[in-house]
Amino acid sequence: MQLRDDPFLSIANKIPNKYIENNKRNIVGYYCTYIPEELLEAADLIPFRIRATGNEDTNKADTYMVRFTCSFVRSTLNLALDGVYDFLDGLFVCNSCDHSRRMFEIFDMVVFKREGFNKNVPRFYIAIPHILTEEGYQWFYGEISELKNNLEKVYNVKISDDKLNDTIKLYNRNRKLMREIYELRNLNHPKLTGTEALQLAIANSSVPKEIANRELERLLGIFREREGLNIDDKKRILLIGSVVDNAKFTELVESSGAIIVSDNLCFGKKTIMEDIDSNSSKSPLERIAKRLYYRNPSCPRSMDDHKRRLEFVKNQIKIANVDGVLLQRITNCDLHGCDNMLFEHELKELDVPVFNIDRENFQSDYTRFQTRIEAFLEMIR
Amino acid sequence: MTNRNVLSGETENKLIPYEMVLNSIGSTRELVERILPKGEIESLKIGAKAIEQIVRTSVEKAKQGLPVIGHHFAFQREYLYCFDCVPICIEGTSYLLSALLPDGVERFYDVMLSWGHPFHTCTSQKGVMGMTLEDLFSFDAIITPTAPCDNTFASYPFFEYKDVPLVIPDIPYLHEEKSYEYYGEQLRLSLEKLGKIIGQEPDFEKMKKHIEIENQVNSVQLELLELRKAKPSPVENMFNAISAGVAVFASGTPEKLDFYEKYLEIAKKRYKKKQEYGKEERIRSIWPYMLIFFDLSLCEYLDREIGMSVLFDIFNYNFSNTVNTKGDLDTLFFDMARRGMNFPMMKESTEFYYPFIENCVQLAKDFSADCFVFTSHLGCKQFGSVPQVLREALREEVGIPMLIIDLDVGDKRFTSTKIIKDKINMFSKTVL
Repeated sequence: MQLRDDPFLSIANKIPNKYIENNKRNIVGYYCTYIPEELLEAADLIPFRIRATGNEDTNKADTYMVRFTCSFVRSTLNLALDGVYDFLDGLFVCNSCDHSRRMFEIFDMVVFKREGFNKNVPRFYIAIPHILTEEGYQWFYGEISELKNNLEKVYNVKISDDKLNDTIKLYNRNRKLMREIYELRNLNHPKLTGTEALQLAIANSSVPKEIANRELERLLGIFREREGLNIDDKKRILLIGSVVDNAKFTELVESSGAIIVSDNLCFGKKTIMEDIDSNSSKSPLERIAKRLYYRNPSCPRSMDDHKRRLEFVKNQIKIANVDGVLLQRITNCDLHGCDNMLFEHELKELDVPVFNIDRENFQSDYTRFQTRIEAFLEMIR
Repeated sequence: MTNRNVLSGETENKLIPYEMVLNSIGSTRELVERILPKGEIESLKIGAKAIEQIVRTSVEKAKQGLPVIGHHFAFQREYLYCFDCVPICIEGTSYLLSALLPDGVERFYDVMLSWGHPFHTCTSQKGVMGMTLEDLFSFDAIITPTAPCDNTFASYPFFEYKDVPLVIPDIPYLHEEKSYEYYGEQLRLSLEKLGKIIGQEPDFEKMKKHIEIENQVNSVQLELLELRKAKPSPVENMFNAISAGVAVFASGTPEKLDFYEKYLEIAKKRYKKKQEYGKEERIRSIWPYMLIFFDLSLCEYLDREIGMSVLFDIFNYNFSNTVNTKGDLDTLFFDMARRGMNFPMMKESTEFYYPFIENCVQLAKDFSADCFVFTSHLGCKQFGSVPQVLREALREEVGIPMLIIDLDVGDKRFTSTKIIKDKINMFSKTVL
């Protein structure tokens, strides 16, 4: 039974969805997974991860972003200039990368100044350290605390500890469900494809979490009951690198003779592997900050954390019984480009075939790309 | 003094590229001194001399066994003088060699590309990375802040992979008082950590003396900037490129102060005589970003063929604060942090665009600029979404145009000098 057309998974194929269209709560967009979703939820906001699914050209955005910039971020800007993100009631940006952090200014100076757009959309920015130290954590916690105060003022809400604890429970439950489903990918006969896993992660970041949890429970039951996939002629692949927000990309890989059994992606394992400590005596805000700051696996923006990322990758190769590693980056993504460069050399010692490739967010030269993937898969014994 | 070399008794040459710099800058200096008449490209004559002196001293000190410390250009070299060490600027070395070597440093870029370094990642690091991969450099440690860009935190872990200890003071991407406190503490902790790696205690009293030199340089730089409000500008275009080199290579040294003082005298004389450099000044341009480094002759071409003054580039209009060296250590490091965070490119990169755009508009007015030329460098994604909004602001608020050129400031193969000249030439005709 193919689930890719399941109503919940289909949310991943477009930007708006019925759950946010018919909701009375404020919907806020965020660019990066280092934004504390639990805090936004506790402010009675619905966090929506900004993405560019379905966008095929960047004509409008190219005016404001030079061609050396990331086509994913440029595509999100293009959608915003087309009005697709007009439903947002707030925007959250952090200094995750040079491309996305500048959306703070560009949305202000261009998107929200478009003719005919009269909505007042509050913007929030947090500065996140690029290294993992106690001093860095204290800085980050300060930023999160300030954000909490700003949210209370701007949206006229009170964010109590009780409310934060409730959202921590909600989000921990969500991550646990995601992990339980994702573990079914490790099996000799995985219960879901990499494409379905990606769709799940995208849909999960696009709807209120109480709805997501209900849907994930339903889907977990289905996946468990489902027969394992016949993958006898497929290579088990670990997919790593820049953001993937389009199921067509994973479909392309999987239709070339692979099954993506694990990943280290933003819409994927990067956000679900660790929970917020619920037994600690620390305040809920501190616990939220701690998990996010020390998150494993981290983004390559954490300059001194490459070794932990490498360990995560090695561990995934083992537990998911991986045949080959596909390192990919969106062209102009220096962060993943350099992290992948090091992985490529470091993974040689494991004798696992590695393929390092760059791509655009919208893959127009589909056939050339597929040929390269197929050639890699053929190399794997 | 303990470092890898001394302990092991090795006599390896740890900084071959610096000898390349020394040889090439030496011959350049000799050529311009011997060939050019008085008054012609004076900045190159005195700048080459300053850089040559500094590099010669560095080479000698490295041979004596002092630890070789690589640093990002955004980490102020004068701060490293709390140690007996040889500071090597990673980005400065890549680009100075790009300017001086007849074939540039593209060969080293290609070495790194073959190793997997992405083509779009900044050549300022790629050059020295390639030299390190070929064992031409041997650093005892490297220090870099976490700014100004993705390239910094993406590329520098390569050095760690090559077993070079990496020290990373974190810079917040936010300009508030608390940012300077945080970065000041990061600077102090990082210098202490670096000291442990090279087996030395940081001597902050010694460092202060070098910072004080920079404080003096600052006032000369401001005076020079002020002179450029004059029509015609008494400062030749080449000064911008050379002063960027001197700023990076000789920071915190008497040689740097000497360079600026000597050039100030030259500029003052020209100012008094209302004398211009090169052809009649027909167009006054501001380059809010960088000049190209792979072909410095562009500066002379603009002065002599087009009559376009480059009033200043990013390294020549944007001077951070002086540092109070008379207070306690907390005050010292707070000011050092403020200086570091307001350093050219760091200032623009670690805060929002708004002040950058406001500054550009104000500079255009104050310096009677006719146009802007924005060099959109392949590596600099942090500036990737500013050119158009800046162009619109200049058009609306000052009524002047801005040319945007996509290029790699260190790689002539990406956009050649010819294409750059052609574009500027055509643009200048629309300005006149």
